[in-house]
Amino acid sequence: MSRRCLLALAVLLAACNANGPPLVVEDVVVTRPVPGSAMSAAYFRLHNPGREPVVVTGVRSPDFMRVEMHETTVEDGISRMRPLEALRLEPGETVEFRRGGRHLMLAGPAADAGPVTLEFLAGDSLLLSVSVARREGS
Amino acid sequence: MTGIRLLVAIVSLVALAIGAWLAFSITTRPALPVSATVLPAPVELPPFELVDQAGERFTRADFEGHWNLVFFGFTHCPDVCPLTLKVLASARAELAAAGVSPLPRIVFVSVDPARDKPELVRDYVAHFDATAIGLTGTEVDVRELTDGLGIFFNRAPGTGTNYLVDHSAAVLVIGPDARFRAVFGGPHEVGRYVADLPRIMGNS
Repeated sequence: MSRRCLLALAVLLAACNANGPPLVVEDVVVTRPVPGSAMSAAYFRLHNPGREPVVVTGVRSPDFMRVEMHETTVEDGISRMRPLEALRLEPGETVEFRRGGRHLMLAGPAADAGPVTLEFLAGDSLLLSVSVARREGS
Repeated sequence: MTGIRLLVAIVSLVALAIGAWLAFSITTRPALPVSATVLPAPVELPPFELVDQAGERFTRADFEGHWNLVFFGFTHCPDVCPLTLKVLASARAELAAAGVSPLPRIVFVSVDPARDKPELVRDYVAHFDATAIGLTGTEVDVRELTDGLGIFFNRAPGTGTNYLVDHSAAVLVIGPDARFRAVFGGPHEVGRYVADLPRIMGNS
């Protein structure tokens, strides 16, 4: 194969990688807040389909006052929730956000029904935006 | 000869009766809880005074006459608190459907009394179970109860009204004599409560 061909192939592969989604989210569930609490949670599965690690540094939403990535742990009978500052997904890795574990804390929603948009960020750049139509009871 | 035969027959019958009695007494002995830990000796509750979801005074005497499932949490907790209360409510509904009587009450005790005022606690607990009780008070008041039961809670770092609370994940079973009798340590699953609660309530 000529050098030119190799170069063209490399450019093509790079383009493929750049055009593919950097992050995929599946099975998103957003709860409705328990009356009085104004707190909801979101659960989902995140997947990195690319060849490079992806670091999610935060999630934002126009539908909530505050969104935080959290992890619930139970150690020695004590339940603790801690903010996750960043989440690194290796190439091909899938990470679960599920009840009693990692979750998004969604604080202060304007409404307890209607669609919700979640935007996953790496620093200032948008990795993924997802709209969820249906919300489940807490 | 007839006498010996008679004796053998009598001994056989007696042995059979003893065997049957033993088998009966073993199989009808109440089963022990599988997931919950029953305290070897029930623990007396400390004196305390909290406020219920209707703003009424709630003391040790108000636990009396009911089986109680007591969970310590806070309403700003988006994940594990709704999850646990949902499990307790579902377990209570399943026990009701199975005809279990009396049914345990669900009692939520706030470990975030600064934010959890009675009216907020009222709306919160009613979402899970119409008969549930929600208790709050001052932090000193709440600690009167939690310290006496070995229940931990601590405010985690945060700013202003934006903070989290670390707390014991346990669900306590308090009997109709207002004594702490058993504990479910988690993970909290409906089936564990449905299986164990009749055993705990029946054996006491």
